[in-house]
Amino acid sequence: MKQDDRNKAKARRNFLKLAGVAGVAGGAAMTGAAAKADGPRAEPATQCKGYRMTEHVRKSYETARF
Amino acid sequence: MSAENATGLAPEDRARAQAYELLARLLAAPPDADLLKMLAMLEGGETPIGAALAELAARAAETDAQAARDEYEALFIGVGRGELVPHGSYYITGFLNEKPLARLRADLRGMGVGRTDGNKVPEDHIASLLEVMAGLIEGGFGEARDGAGAQQAAHAFFHAHIALWAGRFFADLEKANAARLYVPVGTLGRHFVTIEEAAFEIAA
Repeated sequence: MKQDDRNKAKARRNFLKLAGVAGVAGGAAMTGAAAKADGPRAEPATQCKGYRMTEHVRKSYETARF
Repeated sequence: MSAENATGLAPEDRARAQAYELLARLLAAPPDADLLKMLAMLEGGETPIGAALAELAARAAETDAQAARDEYEALFIGVGRGELVPHGSYYITGFLNEKPLARLRADLRGMGVGRTDGNKVPEDHIASLLEVMAGLIEGGFGEARDGAGAQQAAHAFFHAHIALWAGRFFADLEKANAARLYVPVGTLGRHFVTIEEAAFEIAA
Protein backbone atom coordinates (compact mmCIF):
# COMPACT_ATOMS: atom_id res chain seq x y z
CA MET A 1 0.00 0.00 0.00
CA LYS A 2 1.26 3.49 -0.77
CA GLN A 3 1.91 5.87 2.13
CA ASP A 4 -1.05 8.05 1.10
CA ASP A 5 -3.41 5.05 1.12
CA ARG A 6 -2.07 3.96 4.48
CA ASN A 7 -2.77 7.40 5.93
CA LYS A 8 -6.29 7.39 4.52
CA ALA A 9 -6.94 3.91 5.89
CA LYS A 10 -5.70 5.05 9.30
CA ALA A 11 -7.86 8.20 9.18
CA ARG A 12 -10.87 6.05 8.29
CA ARG A 13 -10.25 3.68 11.21
CA ASN A 14 -9.80 6.57 13.63
CA PHE A 15 -13.04 8.07 12.44
CA LEU A 16 -14.87 4.77 12.93
CA LYS A 17 -13.42 4.49 16.42
CA LEU A 18 -14.57 8.00 17.36
CA ALA A 19 -18.01 7.35 15.88
CA GLY A 20 -18.46 4.53 18.39
CA VAL A 21 -18.91 1.76 15.86
CA ALA A 22 -16.75 -0.45 18.07
CA GLY A 23 -19.53 -0.17 20.68
CA VAL A 24 -21.67 -2.34 18.46
CA ALA A 25 -18.96 -4.98 18.33
CA GLY A 26 -19.02 -5.79 22.03
CA GLY A 27 -22.73 -6.52 21.98
CA ALA A 28 -22.96 -7.71 18.42
CA ALA A 29 -20.34 -10.37 19.05
CA MET A 30 -22.81 -12.10 21.38
CA THR A 31 -25.84 -11.37 19.29
CA GLY A 32 -23.92 -12.42 16.20
CA ALA A 33 -23.27 -15.75 17.83
CA ALA A 34 -26.95 -16.11 18.63
CA ALA A 35 -27.94 -15.07 15.13
CA LYS A 36 -25.70 -17.70 13.64
CA ALA A 37 -26.97 -20.37 15.99
CA ASP A 38 -30.29 -19.99 14.20
CA GLY A 39 -29.29 -22.17 11.35
CA PRO A 40 -26.39 -23.41 9.31
CA ARG A 41 -24.39 -20.52 7.98
CA ALA A 42 -23.34 -20.53 4.37
CA GLU A 43 -19.90 -21.86 3.63
CA PRO A 44 -17.37 -19.09 3.39
CA ALA A 45 -16.50 -18.75 -0.25
CA THR A 46 -12.89 -19.74 0.10
CA GLN A 47 -13.95 -23.19 -1.06
CA CYS A 48 -17.25 -22.47 -2.71
CA LYS A 49 -18.01 -19.77 -5.20
CA GLY A 50 -21.74 -20.06 -4.73
CA TYR A 51 -22.44 -18.28 -1.47
CA ARG A 52 -25.96 -18.78 -0.21
CA MET A 53 -27.74 -16.36 2.02
CA THR A 54 -27.99 -17.68 5.52
CA GLU A 55 -30.70 -19.90 6.86
CA HIS A 56 -32.30 -17.30 9.11
CA VAL A 57 -32.63 -14.90 6.21
CA ARG A 58 -34.11 -17.65 4.07
CA LYS A 59 -36.59 -18.63 6.77
CA SER A 60 -37.85 -15.11 7.09
CA TYR A 61 -38.19 -14.89 3.32
CA GLU A 62 -40.46 -17.90 3.26
CA THR A 63 -42.98 -15.92 5.24
CA ALA A 64 -42.29 -12.59 3.59
CA ARG A 65 -43.69 -13.00 0.10
CA PHE A 66 -45.34 -10.22 -1.74
CA MET B 1 -0.11 -3.08 10.22
CA SER B 2 -0.30 -3.25 13.98
CA ALA B 3 -4.05 -2.59 14.12
CA GLU B 4 -4.80 -5.78 12.26
CA ASN B 5 -5.25 -9.19 13.80
CA ALA B 6 -4.28 -12.56 12.44
CA THR B 7 -7.06 -12.59 9.86
CA GLY B 8 -5.87 -9.26 8.46
CA LEU B 9 -9.04 -7.46 9.52
CA ALA B 10 -8.64 -4.29 11.60
CA PRO B 11 -10.78 -4.21 14.79
CA GLU B 12 -12.76 -1.28 13.40
CA ASP B 13 -13.60 -3.26 10.28
CA ARG B 14 -14.56 -6.30 12.34
CA ALA B 15 -16.88 -4.00 14.30
CA ARG B 16 -18.43 -2.74 11.06
CA ALA B 17 -19.01 -6.29 9.87
CA GLN B 18 -20.67 -7.12 13.20
CA ALA B 19 -22.87 -4.04 13.01
CA TYR B 20 -24.01 -5.10 9.54
CA GLU B 21 -24.65 -8.64 10.79
CA LEU B 22 -26.65 -7.46 13.79
CA LEU B 23 -28.84 -5.18 11.67
CA ALA B 24 -29.23 -7.91 9.02
CA ARG B 25 -30.29 -10.43 11.66
CA LEU B 26 -32.90 -8.12 13.19
CA LEU B 27 -34.32 -7.16 9.80
CA ALA B 28 -34.39 -10.73 8.46
CA ALA B 29 -36.56 -12.07 11.26
CA PRO B 30 -37.81 -11.03 14.70
CA PRO B 31 -35.47 -11.77 17.62
CA ASP B 32 -36.33 -14.88 19.66
CA ALA B 33 -36.24 -14.98 23.47
CA ASP B 34 -32.50 -15.74 23.62
CA LEU B 35 -31.57 -12.93 21.27
CA LEU B 36 -33.83 -10.50 23.17
CA LYS B 37 -32.03 -11.45 26.38
CA MET B 38 -28.69 -10.68 24.75
CA LEU B 39 -29.90 -7.46 23.18
CA ALA B 40 -30.97 -6.37 26.66
CA MET B 41 -27.33 -6.67 27.75
CA LEU B 42 -26.00 -4.31 25.06
CA GLU B 43 -23.99 -1.50 26.58
CA GLY B 44 -24.66 2.05 25.54
CA GLY B 45 -22.24 4.92 25.16
CA GLU B 46 -22.03 8.63 24.57
CA THR B 47 -22.05 8.58 20.77
CA PRO B 48 -25.32 8.49 18.78
CA ILE B 49 -24.55 4.81 18.11
CA GLY B 50 -24.07 4.24 21.84
CA ALA B 51 -27.35 6.00 22.66
CA ALA B 52 -29.21 3.86 20.10
CA LEU B 53 -27.69 0.69 21.59
CA ALA B 54 -28.76 1.76 25.09
CA GLU B 55 -32.29 2.37 23.87
CA LEU B 56 -32.33 -0.97 22.06
CA ALA B 57 -31.20 -2.70 25.26
CA ALA B 58 -33.91 -0.96 27.30
CA ARG B 59 -36.67 -1.86 24.85
CA ALA B 60 -35.44 -5.44 24.40
CA ALA B 61 -35.65 -5.88 28.18
CA GLU B 62 -39.36 -5.11 28.11
CA THR B 63 -40.23 -7.05 24.94
CA ASP B 64 -41.10 -10.75 24.83
CA ALA B 65 -40.66 -13.00 21.79
CA GLN B 66 -44.37 -12.96 20.89
CA ALA B 67 -44.48 -9.15 20.96
CA ALA B 68 -41.35 -9.03 18.80
CA ARG B 69 -42.95 -11.41 16.29
CA ASP B 70 -46.17 -9.37 16.18
CA GLU B 71 -44.22 -6.15 15.71
CA TYR B 72 -42.06 -7.63 12.95
CA GLU B 73 -45.16 -8.96 11.22
CA ALA B 74 -46.92 -5.59 11.34
CA LEU B 75 -43.82 -3.74 10.12
CA PHE B 76 -42.66 -5.96 7.29
CA ILE B 77 -45.22 -8.61 6.42
CA GLY B 78 -48.76 -7.60 7.35
CA VAL B 79 -51.88 -8.68 5.49
CA GLY B 80 -50.83 -8.27 1.89
CA ARG B 81 -47.92 -6.09 2.91
CA GLY B 82 -46.49 -4.63 6.07
CA GLU B 83 -46.22 -0.98 6.98
CA LEU B 84 -42.81 -0.81 5.31
CA VAL B 85 -41.47 -2.43 2.16
CA PRO B 86 -37.80 -3.13 2.92
CA HIS B 87 -36.67 -3.48 -0.70
CA GLY B 88 -34.24 -1.24 -2.56
CA SER B 89 -36.14 -1.28 -5.84
CA TYR B 90 -39.30 -0.13 -4.09
CA TYR B 91 -37.50 2.75 -2.37
CA ILE B 92 -35.59 3.83 -5.46
CA THR B 93 -38.33 3.47 -8.12
CA GLY B 94 -41.60 3.09 -6.21
CA PHE B 95 -42.02 -0.47 -7.54
CA LEU B 96 -40.68 -3.90 -6.67
CA ASN B 97 -38.52 -5.84 -9.14
CA GLU B 98 -37.38 -2.88 -11.21
CA LYS B 99 -34.00 -2.01 -12.72
CA PRO B 100 -32.17 -1.57 -9.40
CA LEU B 101 -32.91 -5.24 -8.68
CA ALA B 102 -31.63 -6.30 -12.12
CA ARG B 103 -28.41 -4.38 -11.52
CA LEU B 104 -28.03 -5.95 -8.08
CA ARG B 105 -28.55 -9.45 -9.49
CA ALA B 106 -25.85 -8.86 -12.08
CA ASP B 107 -23.43 -7.70 -9.37
CA LEU B 108 -24.27 -10.62 -7.08
CA ARG B 109 -23.73 -13.08 -9.94
CA GLY B 110 -20.32 -11.53 -10.49
CA MET B 111 -19.53 -12.09 -6.81
CA GLY B 112 -20.84 -15.67 -6.81
CA VAL B 113 -23.66 -14.88 -4.37
CA GLY B 114 -27.09 -16.37 -4.88
CA ARG B 115 -30.37 -17.02 -3.13
CA THR B 116 -30.95 -20.18 -1.15
CA ASP B 117 -32.95 -22.68 -3.18
CA GLY B 118 -36.64 -22.06 -2.74
CA ASN B 119 -36.14 -18.46 -1.63
CA LYS B 120 -38.47 -16.36 -3.76
CA VAL B 121 -37.99 -13.00 -2.13
CA PRO B 122 -36.08 -10.45 -4.22
CA GLU B 123 -32.43 -10.07 -3.30
CA ASP B 124 -32.73 -6.34 -2.65
CA HIS B 125 -34.26 -6.96 0.80
CA ILE B 126 -32.38 -4.73 3.25
CA ALA B 127 -31.30 -7.75 5.33
CA SER B 128 -29.67 -9.43 2.32
CA LEU B 129 -27.80 -6.28 1.32
CA LEU B 130 -26.51 -5.78 4.87
CA GLU B 131 -25.46 -9.40 5.01
CA VAL B 132 -23.56 -9.04 1.74
CA MET B 133 -21.78 -6.00 3.20
CA ALA B 134 -20.65 -8.02 6.22
CA GLY B 135 -19.36 -10.72 3.87
CA LEU B 136 -17.50 -8.26 1.68
CA ILE B 137 -15.84 -6.55 4.66
CA GLU B 138 -14.71 -9.91 6.00
CA GLY B 139 -13.47 -10.81 2.51
CA GLY B 140 -15.58 -13.94 2.71
CA PHE B 141 -16.74 -14.36 -0.85
CA GLY B 142 -15.58 -13.96 -4.38
CA GLU B 143 -11.87 -14.34 -4.79
CA ALA B 144 -9.80 -13.92 -1.65
CA ARG B 145 -9.04 -10.24 -1.13
CA ASP B 146 -6.50 -8.35 0.90
CA GLY B 147 -7.77 -5.75 3.37
CA ALA B 148 -7.71 -2.87 0.90
CA GLY B 149 -9.40 -4.90 -1.86
CA ALA B 150 -12.16 -6.00 0.51
CA GLN B 151 -12.81 -2.41 1.56
CA GLN B 152 -12.94 -1.28 -2.07
CA ALA B 153 -15.42 -4.02 -2.94
CA ALA B 154 -17.51 -3.08 0.10
CA HIS B 155 -17.41 0.60 -0.86
CA ALA B 156 -18.49 -0.13 -4.44
CA PHE B 157 -21.37 -2.34 -3.29
CA PHE B 158 -22.51 0.18 -0.67
CA HIS B 159 -22.44 3.01 -3.19
CA ALA B 160 -24.31 1.02 -5.88
CA HIS B 161 -27.00 -0.69 -3.79
CA ILE B 162 -27.36 0.81 -0.32
CA ALA B 163 -26.42 4.51 -0.24
CA LEU B 164 -29.40 5.60 -2.35
CA TRP B 165 -32.09 4.39 -0.02
CA ALA B 166 -31.04 2.68 3.24
CA GLY B 167 -30.95 5.96 5.19
CA ARG B 168 -34.54 6.69 4.18
CA PHE B 169 -35.61 3.16 5.06
CA PHE B 170 -34.09 3.37 8.55
CA ALA B 171 -35.66 6.81 9.12
CA ASP B 172 -39.05 5.33 8.10
CA LEU B 173 -38.49 2.45 10.50
CA GLU B 174 -37.86 4.90 13.36
CA LYS B 175 -41.15 6.65 12.61
CA ALA B 176 -43.29 3.61 11.81
CA ASN B 177 -46.56 3.33 13.76
CA ALA B 178 -46.00 -0.32 14.62
CA ALA B 179 -42.39 0.21 15.75
CA ARG B 180 -41.46 -0.19 19.44
CA LEU B 181 -38.43 -2.46 19.68
CA TYR B 182 -37.55 -1.49 16.10
CA VAL B 183 -37.41 2.28 16.75
CA PRO B 184 -33.81 2.09 18.08
CA VAL B 185 -32.99 -0.45 15.34
CA GLY B 186 -33.96 2.29 12.87
CA THR B 187 -31.91 4.87 14.78
CA LEU B 188 -28.90 2.57 14.90
CA GLY B 189 -29.17 1.83 11.18
CA ARG B 190 -29.62 5.47 10.23
CA HIS B 191 -26.53 6.58 12.18
CA PHE B 192 -24.49 3.62 11.02
CA VAL B 193 -25.22 4.24 7.34
CA THR B 194 -24.26 7.92 7.75
CA ILE B 195 -21.00 6.93 9.45
CA GLU B 196 -20.24 4.42 6.71
CA GLU B 197 -20.77 7.04 4.01
CA ALA B 198 -18.45 9.48 5.77
CA ALA B 199 -15.83 6.79 6.41
CA PHE B 200 -15.82 5.72 2.75
CA GLU B 201 -15.33 9.37 1.76
CA ILE B 202 -12.30 9.66 4.03
CA ALA B 203 -10.69 6.62 2.44
CA ALA B 204 -11.66 7.45 -1.17
